[in-house]
Formats: sequence, C-alpha cells, structure tokens
Amino acid sequence: MPETPEKTSRQDWVGGRRARYDALGRVRGVVGHVGDQPVGTCAHVAVHRSTQPHAAIRAVHTEEALAIDGVYAVVTGADLHKRFGEALLTGPAFADQPALAYDKVRFVGEPVAAVLAADLATAREAADAVYVEYDELDPVYDLDTALNGESYVHDELRPSAVFGDLRHLDGVRDTNINYEYRLRHGNPNKVSGARTVRGEFWAPPTHHVPIELPCTVAWVEGGRLEMLTTTQTPSYVRQTIADLLDLPLSRVRVTTRPLGGSFGAKMYDRLEPLAAALAWQFQRKVRLAASREEAFLLTTRHGAAITSTLTADAGGQLSAATADVAYDTGAYADVGPRITAKSGMVAPGPYRIGSVDVRSRCVYTNKPSAGPFRGFGVPQVTWSHESLIDELAHELGEDPYAFRREHLLREGDLAPMGTRMHSADFVGCLDAVAESISWDTQPDRGTGRIRRGRGVAVGVKAVLTPTIANAVLQLNQDASATLMISTVDMGQGSDTIMAQIVADVLRVDSRRVHVVRADTDVTPYDTITAGSRSTYHTGNAVRAVAESMRVRLLALAAEQPEQPEQHGQPERSGVDTGELDEERIAEIVHAHFGARGATLTTEANFTSSWSPYDKETGRSEKVTEHWFAGAVGVRLAVDTATGRVHLEHLAVAGDVGRAINPALVEQQLTGAAIMGIGHALFDQLVLDQGQLVNGTLLDYQLPSIRDLPDELTPIIVESPHDDGPFGAKGVGETGILAVAPAIGNAIRDAIGLRFTRLPMTPEAIVTALESR
Amino acid sequence: MNEITLIVNGTPHRTRVSDSALLLDVLREQAGCTSVREGCGVGACGACTVLVGETSVSSCLALATRYDGANITTAEGLDENDDVVSAFADCGAAQCGYCIPGFVLMTRELLAEHPRPTSEQITEHLEGNICRCGTYPEIRTAVSTAAERRSPR
Ligand code: FES
Ligand code: FES
Repeated sequence: MPETPEKTSRQDWVGGRRARYDALGRVRGVVGHVGDQPVGTCAHVAVHRSTQPHAAIRAVHTEEALAIDGVYAVVTGADLHKRFGEALLTGPAFADQPALAYDKVRFVGEPVAAVLAADLATAREAADAVYVEYDELDPVYDLDTALNGESYVHDELRPSAVFGDLRHLDGVRDTNINYEYRLRHGNPNKVSGARTVRGEFWAPPTHHVPIELPCTVAWVEGGRLEMLTTTQTPSYVRQTIADLLDLPLSRVRVTTRPLGGSFGAKMYDRLEPLAAALAWQFQRKVRLAASREEAFLLTTRHGAAITSTLTADAGGQLSAATADVAYDTGAYADVGPRITAKSGMVAPGPYRIGSVDVRSRCVYTNKPSAGPFRGFGVPQVTWSHESLIDELAHELGEDPYAFRREHLLREGDLAPMGTRMHSADFVGCLDAVAESISWDTQPDRGTGRIRRGRGVAVGVKAVLTPTIANAVLQLNQDASATLMISTVDMGQGSDTIMAQIVADVLRVDSRRVHVVRADTDVTPYDTITAGSRSTYHTGNAVRAVAESMRVRLLALAAEQPEQPEQHGQPERSGVDTGELDEERIAEIVHAHFGARGATLTTEANFTSSWSPYDKETGRSEKVTEHWFAGAVGVRLAVDTATGRVHLEHLAVAGDVGRAINPALVEQQLTGAAIMGIGHALFDQLVLDQGQLVNGTLLDYQLPSIRDLPDELTPIIVESPHDDGPFGAKGVGETGILAVAPAIGNAIRDAIGLRFTRLPMTPEAIVTALESR
Repeated sequence: MNEITLIVNGTPHRTRVSDSALLLDVLREQAGCTSVREGCGVGACGACTVLVGETSVSSCLALATRYDGANITTAEGLDENDDVVSAFADCGAAQCGYCIPGFVLMTRELLAEHPRPTSEQITEHLEGNICRCGTYPEIRTAVSTAAERRSPR
C-alpha cells in the first residue's frame, strides 16, 4: 500500500518508482481541493460579461440587479477603477488587463460587472440582470486584421513591472503588435539553395480544460488580504495583489491546495485580482467559482500562424531556415511576449543550420486572452519545423528519420540562437522512438480504403530562465521532515519527487518527508510552478537544503561527546558521506536539544541566470539554463473513406537528464502525448466573430480512452545535466512538443498528402483526398 | 422545499432541498462527499459520477428530489482494500486524481456487468469519462487488475 510505512528502500530515493504521494487519497477522492474547502458565510460572486468583442462602455445599469432579493452589492469596472486607479490593470508582461472592464471591452465574455450575493444562483441571476450600453468599435477578429487594419485593441502599450526588459515599449501607440522577437544569424537570402521547402502553417487556439474548475476565496483578517486559490503561481499572485491593494507583501497571504490539473490554465491573473479587489472593497469574504463555460474564457492556448522555409544546399547540408511567426494573444497579452520569444528562438528546430532568420510576433485581437499552455508556444513552431524537414527529406529522396538524425544538434553544438547544447540528446530520443516503432520495417501501406504510414518528429524547448527557487527544511527529532517549498502539485508529482530528493540525501524514508502546500506566509518565494522548471530549479534548492541539513547533523554529531558506533552505510550516489540513518538522526537531534519532538531548520536557494538576447541578432550565449529534448514516433492507419486516423503505435521519448521517479516521468510523457493527440486530430477552440462557439464540454472534444493508441510507449532517455539535482531536469512539456508533426508526417507517409493546418480532422482529410 | 433522505455510503442523510437542487450539490454540500466533482455540468466528463444502487448516474444532471430513499455510493465510501480502489492505487492510475473517483465507480459498474471485460468493453464503458492528465493507460491496467482480483482465473 502506497502510504503504509515500510522499510526504507531505494524505491524511496532518487531513481525509485515509489507511488505518488497520497495515491489512495486521490483514488478515493479525499484529497481536499480548493473548491472543497468549507468557507462559512461569504458573498458568492458572479460576473456580467460583455456581449461585444470591441466597444466603449457608455453606461452600466445595475438597478435591476440590485433589486433582487439576496443581492449584497453590484460593482462595475468604473467603481473599481475609481477605488484602485491604474493598479486595477495587471498582467505578467503588460499591465493591460482590468479585473473588470471600465473604459472599453475587448472580447465577448469579458467581465464588466460583479454581483455579490447570498448564494451563487442569486448572484448569477443578478449578473444576467445587469444591462450595459456600448458604443461599438471596429472588431479585430483575426491576425490579418490585427496586423493590417487600423483598429487597435489597446490604445498604447503598458509594460508591467514584472518583466524589466519590456520597458522600452512603454507608451507605443497604433499597433496591435505588443512584442516582436527577431533572430538573425548568417544571411539566409545569400544562400544558394539547392532545394527549398516552404509552408504556411496554422495551429488553432485550444483550451487546457483541467477537470478541476478554477475557484478563489478571499477575505480580510487583521488588515491583511488572505486568499485560497487554484493557482500554479502563488508567489506571483501575492506580488500582484500587494501591488493592486498597495499593501506590503507581509499583509497578503496566498494559499493553495493540490490542483486537479492545470497545464498552464491556473497561473498569473485569473480570478485572483477580482477576488482581492472585491474582498478589500467590501471587507468581507468572497468566493468566486468559475463554471466550465466561464473557465473557457479565462485563458486559452495561442493560435499561431507560421510561414516558414527550410533550404538544403547542393551537398545536402541545411543551409538556411526562415520563419515568420504570429501568436494570436487575444485581448490581453498575459505571458504572450515571453512565449513569442522563447518559441521564436527555436522555430528553426534543433538542427545544424547555416543561417536563420526568424520574426516572431505577439499580436492583440478581440478574443479571449491566450496565455501559457503546456509547451509554451513551442508545439506550434514544432508543427512547422518538423513538417518542413520531413518534406525536405522527401524532396531530396532521403529517409526522414536518417535525414533528421544527420542534422540534429549534438552535445556541445551551438544552436542557431547562440546557446550551447548540453544534456539534450535529440539523437538518443529519435533513435529510441524509431526503434520502438520498428522504423526499418516498412509499413504495409495498403492499396484499398485503409492506408498505413509511419512518421517521426523531434522537439526542443528551453526551460524558463532566469528563475528563483527556495526551500526550507524542518527536520523533526523523530527523523521525519517537513519541507517548505512553493511548488504546487497539480498532478505532475512534485510532492513525491521532492520528498525523494530529501530522503536520498538524508537516507530516510521518503514517506516521512512531508511537503507543505504553498502558503506564502510559510513557504518561501518560488518564481512559478510552470515551464517544467521545478524538478531542476526547486529540485536543486531542495537538494541543497537537505545537504545543508546533513552537514548540520554531522557537525552536531561531532560536538556530541559519545559517538555511538557508526552504522553501516548503504550504497549511494551523489554527495559524500557520513553515517546517517533514521535512528542516528533521532539520536543526534535528541542529544542536541535534550527533548523529543524538537526541530532543526535549514534553508537554501537556487537561482538560474541567463544572458539577455542581443537586440540586433536575438542571439544569446546562454538563453536558458537547460534544454528539453524529445521525440515522437507514430505508426497509424488512415481510413480514406471516413478520414479517420487510427493510431497503432505511438512512442514518446524525452531526455530528462536523470529520472528522479521513472514511473512519474513515464506518466508525464504519456499524459502529454495523449494531450498532443487531441491537438493533432480534433482539439480546437472555434470562434465566430469573436464569439466562442464550442465553449462547453458537450461541444469541445477532448481525448478519451478511445483515442489511446493501440500501443503507447514512453521512453526515458537520460543524459545527465551537470548542474541538475542528481543530473535531473523536468519533463512536463517534453512529451507534447512533437506529437502533432509526427502524426502529420505519418499521414503524409500513408496517403501522400501534407497537412499544414491543425487539427487534422476526418473532414479535413476527406476534403483533401477528394480535391487531390 | 422537500425533505428527502439519501442513503450515502450506508449512512442516511435527511435533508431539505429545493425542487431544482442537483444531486451533485446536495452530496457535496450536505453530505460532505467532495469526491463527487463538477467538471462540466453538462454530463460530458464523468467527474460527478455516483452509483445509485449499482447504476452510474451523472449527478450534475440529476435532481436530488428524485433520489429520495436511494442508496448512493461515492468513491470515498469505498474501502481502501476494495479491489477496484486498490487496483487503481497499485497501478498508479491517478495523476492529479481529480477525475479518478468517477473512473473508479464506472469500473465497479462495468465489473458488476462484465466480470472479465474485453478491451472494447472497457473502452465503451469508460469513454464518457475524461481524464485530462491522460492516465488512460494506467486506468486500463487498473481495470484489468481489479477484474483479476475480483474473480481470479
Ligand atoms: S460534471 Fe457531470 S458529467 Fe461533467
Ligand atoms: S488524473 Fe488528472 S484529470 Fe485524471
């Protein structure tokens, strides 16, 4: 049984496959999530939403709503703006998003007024009774209008205080482009190419749909704003709220519970600014709970258009790559500018390429805001570069697997954006998936209705850099430990692997190491739980905090008069040494304090650094602390009559440096691959004139158990990172990067048609076959 | 308002509910069963699944008043040693775990009907439940493991 203490074993330490923290609790549903917490009497909040994509607000009528029994108050954006001023505008890149719209609305579904009532049903009824008068403005529905039209979603750009490097954009007017990243190396126009392939790619907006819905409770106690909320970014939220309410950080407390999935949906500014503003304004407890329909409007994945080329010279070397990338960030930039840069810099792919020219832009439109989503914009550019290199191989009569293999970046190579590759074994990942799907065995392609094909694709992504992680470890006298970090466990398993790291260093049972849930009153600052950064960054802080505890214990032991006989030490990797085990630790701490139940505390920090991009070339010596490398191989069958794609085998490999818990790593790989299958074949948000058409789960298709490939093989590749904890790196996103292009390439192999637009639905396939 | 009695995991709960009260909300708020979860509110995700007798019901679509006197099982009512619960835990069939109680109850219903379900029967029975973490491979293994534990060959 997972939670039953048993004899300490290697299963508990680094490299062990121990079961997830509280596995039984998860299965029986007794893990308490935010929405499960009793809150007592509070005001339930519902919002009135804009019916216009782009319009000035002339008047908001609240009288009818206020007259409804059980309504405590109705608040408009103008009310909050009057109270909080410009601080009402928040956002990680640009301070562009008001908790409630006050001057104009920028998308259909934007909150305009909030109702506080005795219960949610009443609040919702009253929200419907609010009436808004608008003066319509020209809507910006798509990238084309945004880039070439004369209507602007925002009058001017307002960089936030969070990302210092955007300051030069302050006050820029008459544009919908809030950020442009440029990468230039060599001169692609001068390349005398033997063969160039070109494509216009499209990856549509999608939604994260974590099954747990967002929920925020906020209240005021002792002049402090306290909050319990579904967030991946408690430290960020604390700062945002302190800024919004003009409070010292010590007077804001943000707490979380385990999340029921997130994938980027529950981070930065979601329900939290509004909840804080309302709780502060009325000095009472408020509860905001999003319905599924509302959750669709909180954030999305960026739709992206990519026009790109790849050229091989006469000798078959990759001589040039170009990409013009546009991310549709919707009405609010959120973290779009970062996505634009971090994805733009890998748009040519993980290959040795003579010269590159990339332009990557983040563009406002009148749609729900797009933000971070597992992969951080990289799956969209991977769709482009992995389709192109496949096509180029076909053009040159080369085997797509061997062709990639020849040109992939190797350890020590400089990537096109100027940073060296380390612990990014693309070749190892590609080889592993090719072998797994028996690449060398030609599929029986068929001649009738069913056609078969195989495809591979590779992905590369940088980890979020620079970031900060802190850890505090409290060792209890009974040799159990309490670890304080602000990493949020949302299913990725951080509560489990962080305990394994501590246990490995101290040679104790990892089930006796408890990870405290993020609570900004207690757990130290951590940039965010996102971008697959926690295993490496927070893992390093956790390893360091356990190491310093170990040093502390050994020093105490040395001071203590009688050294009991030294215990035999189990074989271990990692740092040196000393003779510790649970019994010995208990003795040392007891001897030191002369008391049972005493605690010893240590703390540690880990901070990564980068060199900012060169303004002209977009290159950097160290753009990232480390790389993620992944590959996917697919065998599939296409039913040419229905256009349905059946996945016979999908293999997904990721270089994780070192797997702290291989079972959890495999789950991240397969889980991400399954999400990627949805993006490849059916998953998309459909908007019509700015109006979300399929924003319910009746209409929005997600992968079900039926979409599982006949065979799904996760493969762990380990090329240890010199500075990772035990060589480890993260894995949350690696598995999703290359799924769609691998499937597209296999479809190309099966039926000879290249798809450039996602998703590759049965309709799209049938239509393409008919018009061949 | 109507007074009804729900027998939840063997314990009778007498409660007053409005005509429009959903079984989902009554179970969560009045019987304290937070393993019953709202993922979509429209019967499309399975997170709110409960068993009424042996039969699965999407509690987000069910009016509480219609279940007066009913015997309702939720995942937290199952013992840790229950063969389905233990199979899910042992097979690592939970990531965030939010969707899993629904899968556990659907599996109990499936095994009651088909003690040795075929792969297609598993798919058919579970395809209405969404696991966004993509735990489907482990869930498949867990269902087979539970079947084996329940009726060894
Ligand atoms: S909440 Fe009932 S099926 Fe989704
Ligand atoms: S385990 Fe997270 S949704 Fe299923």
